Amino acid sequence: MSAPRPAPAAAEPASRHDLLPSAIDPTVFDEAFLRQLERLMLVTRKAVRGGMKGVRRSAKRGVSVEFADYRNYTMGDDLRTLDWNIYARLEKLFIKLFVEEEDVTVHVLLDASGSMGTGSPDKLLFGKRAAAALAYVGLASYDRVSLAVLQGRVARRYPAVRGTGRIFQVLADLSPVQAAHGPTDLAACARHYASQLTQRGPLILISDLFDDNAERAISELAGTRCELAILHTLSPDELDPPLEGDLKLVDSETGAGVDITADSSTIDAYRARLTAWQVALEAAATKRRAAYVAVPSTLPLADLVFAELRRRRVVA
Amino acid sequence: MPLLAPLALAGLVFLPLIVAFYLLRLRRTERTVSSTYLWQQLVRDLEANAPWQRLRRSLLLFLQLLLVAVLVLAAARPFLEHPAGLARDLILVIDASASMGATDVFPDRLTAAKRAAKEVLAGLPADGKVSIVAAAETARVVANEVTDRGRAADLIAGIPLSNASADLGDALKLAGALAARARGAEVLVVTDDASSQVPDVHLAAPVKVITVGRERRNQAIVALAVQTGAGGVKRSLFVSVANLDTQAVTRRLQVLADGAAFTARDLFLDPLTRTDVVIDELPAGAAVVEARLAAVDGSASPADQLTADDAAWAIVPSDRVQRILLVGPGNVYLQNALSLLPNVELYGTSGKDYAATSGLDKFDLIVLDGFLPPTLPDKPILALAPPSTSPLGTVVGTLDGPAIGTISADEPLLHDVDLTRIHIAKAQRIDLPQWARAVIPGPRGAPLLYAGVRDGLVTAVMAFDLHQSDLPLQVAWPILIANLSGELLGRDASTLQPVRPGAPIELLLSPGSGGMRVTAPDGLVTELVPGATGASSVTFVGTGSLGVYRAESIPAAPKPTASGASPNPTPKPTQTPSPGPSGSAGPEAAAFIRFAVDLFDPIESNIAPGDGARLTALGGPPATGSEAGVARDEWWVPVALIVLLLLLVEWTVYERDGARRIRDRLVALLTLQPLRGGRPR
Repeated sequence: MSAPRPAPAAAEPASRHDLLPSAIDPTVFDEAFLRQLERLMLVTRKAVRGGMKGVRRSAKRGVSVEFADYRNYTMGDDLRTLDWNIYARLEKLFIKLFVEEEDVTVHVLLDASGSMGTGSPDKLLFGKRAAAALAYVGLASYDRVSLAVLQGRVARRYPAVRGTGRIFQVLADLSPVQAAHGPTDLAACARHYASQLTQRGPLILISDLFDDNAERAISELAGTRCELAILHTLSPDELDPPLEGDLKLVDSETGAGVDITADSSTIDAYRARLTAWQVALEAAATKRRAAYVAVPSTLPLADLVFAELRRRRVVA
Repeated sequence: MPLLAPLALAGLVFLPLIVAFYLLRLRRTERTVSSTYLWQQLVRDLEANAPWQRLRRSLLLFLQLLLVAVLVLAAARPFLEHPAGLARDLILVIDASASMGATDVFPDRLTAAKRAAKEVLAGLPADGKVSIVAAAETARVVANEVTDRGRAADLIAGIPLSNASADLGDALKLAGALAARARGAEVLVVTDDASSQVPDVHLAAPVKVITVGRERRNQAIVALAVQTGAGGVKRSLFVSVANLDTQAVTRRLQVLADGAAFTARDLFLDPLTRTDVVIDELPAGAAVVEARLAAVDGSASPADQLTADDAAWAIVPSDRVQRILLVGPGNVYLQNALSLLPNVELYGTSGKDYAATSGLDKFDLIVLDGFLPPTLPDKPILALAPPSTSPLGTVVGTLDGPAIGTISADEPLLHDVDLTRIHIAKAQRIDLPQWARAVIPGPRGAPLLYAGVRDGLVTAVMAFDLHQSDLPLQVAWPILIANLSGELLGRDASTLQPVRPGAPIELLLSPGSGGMRVTAPDGLVTELVPGATGASSVTFVGTGSLGVYRAESIPAAPKPTASGASPNPTPKPTQTPSPGPSGSAGPEAAAFIRFAVDLFDPIESNIAPGDGARLTALGGPPATGSEAGVARDEWWVPVALIVLLLLLVEWTVYERDGARRIRDRLVALLTLQPLRGGRPR
């Protein structure tokens, strides 16, 4: 018999205190910040079918005050929707169709690979804060929020929640998330999530994209026809490496080493390479109608939500 | 480009070694990063894993290879040849006299002379030899046929400045002797040529002269003496100041008594004249008087360019009264000479009454004139014509008309004593005792005057009666008595006279002393021990520094006591030196003598530089048939500069990141801007 496995971190009982927003970020997750988040809404450019009544235009026709179209009357239609004025002019029966207002499902994907657990400040902690904030924006706009953590080759999906009161459930799901110890295949995780996805809506990927198949992962997620937004999170050490001398750089995920001589020219070349990589990622995202937002992990959460994401039309 | 040490090029094997070190450099510091994704791409971009690509891009490696190559080149000693300007054998004479301390050239003439001498050595042929002679109070060979120019330069740099007058004549004679060893040698003199005296020497070798010095602004104290008035109480100071410049100046003469300022006077000194100053009434009890020349505040007079002659010291003679007992039938010459001695009380008695005389302990000297008591007193004795054999000497007969033998020039008792006109009709023939030295030798080893330390007591014996000689009628008589009293009373007249720098001085040993300990003005202590048992004096030669020297007696070690024998206890001075110590005094001061070393040489103080023509004229014509050598100029100076430059560039390249951060922080501090955590994208 194998030794009993430790209980998964997500299953650990969390106290009420730990579930409070202030436990995650006492400086920004205060009451005022939550009120500001409630005034935001994740932008959806296309009408999609929802599950429940909401405040977003649905692809379905239903009952609302906004006129959508006419169709011929068929047996069994509600006579209350007949347009009697047209019948008076044309002596034909037409039914008035109205726009349905439903909710959408907001998908928040958090990369919890080993590389996200590094940096100062911690990129994973930054990602969890950003995920919590965006989830609250979705909950406050009567949308369903589906949270998933990408590790290894799978996307661990949490049950979708709805209503601002479920923010504590979201926080409880996010708090125990730890960076993976092994390598993570981002494309495989994206493919896995895409295969589980049933309802379209805004999809936000929070990741450092340190993966050979990062563009493929973007392609997989964009293929779900969700409105994809990518928060590319990098720490200051990755933006401006404080390296000097002859070094062997060890990958935190794979343990692979790279020998470099870090001098001024090498650091300059790294910066150029980083810029080219970000440009390529942005081009790939734009090509697939996805929003690409590069954010350093030092960026305050309020600046991220109210400045960067607004500027990129991710929230409005 | 010729090389002196081509084997050093073997050091080029270090070049591939350095390349190998770069290739094999495996020690790297491990650093965990979030992902090596970008770094791997970067390495692929740079093709850094290819060794030769990495080497091609390493500026540090290039600099290090270049540095090693230049160092190897420096070790190989590249040089250029050119015709030498000097002979193969060079005798270099460097004037180190006091006038070379003049500061009319920076920093002084001697340093400039050394610099010029080192520059001249560059013109020495490659196989040339140089001998160096330093001309100070005496000529001294500093280096003999040195072929290493670096060593020669070090030896030149080590030549000290002397406070004495230089004897260029001796130095040129020595240089001539050194030049005579090799054919074609030449003499090069580096001097200020300030002395007006032309050395009386002619050399076979040609003489070249390099002169240093430009100006002649100097004022000097050329005489300083303490004079005692006729009463023996009043003392005055005589100072003579010479202005050796060609323009009038104003100087302040400061006089210090025992280190305390006593008086000061502003002197207007006409050009090329001496000004004498007499200062009356020195402070009572003063032992040392110092005179200084200083600039007058606010005066427009040019600065004095030679400081060695701006200070002088004089020893004030003791004013303690000493008692002398004259025993004999009565001798007016002796009485007059003794009574004329300063600070002396003369008492007299006859031979008959001597036995009844009490209080002999109170006398400092007993003079026995033709008389010998049964028991000699335990006091210093001056005996004249002892009638019989005694511990003072064995009388073996008489001498009729004895002639004076060859006199030692260094005899201190005969200082300034002219014996050429002395005639002696009759004298006692006395064998010279072992404890004595012959001061005035007579015929066949019989001394006419001898002196020494007998059982710890200073004793002098004159073998003839004054009435049998015309000595009392000569000028030499009172001088001889003064010199004798100086030795017998412990009052060495020689220590009152200024001593020339570098000149030896005879220091008389007090009874019971085992030597002298001399403390120089600069604190250097020298212990002098007499070379022979019973010697009455020691010679001190370390008078190179100007100032007041202090000589004190070293107590003699107790003699081992023989069984059954009761050694005669050596009398020791029970009194300590008086609080106001005199220059030289009686028994209590015998353990404590001062003497002053002063320049007092107007010729040396005249620092007007010459053109060296008269020194050049002392040399002979150049030797015919001697081939001009080839001089080599090594390139180590530019090579060393290149090495330093390369090191600087390498350090800058290696530390450029750190240097850039330091610069950024400094700029941020200076402009009060907050430091940025990262580089803005």
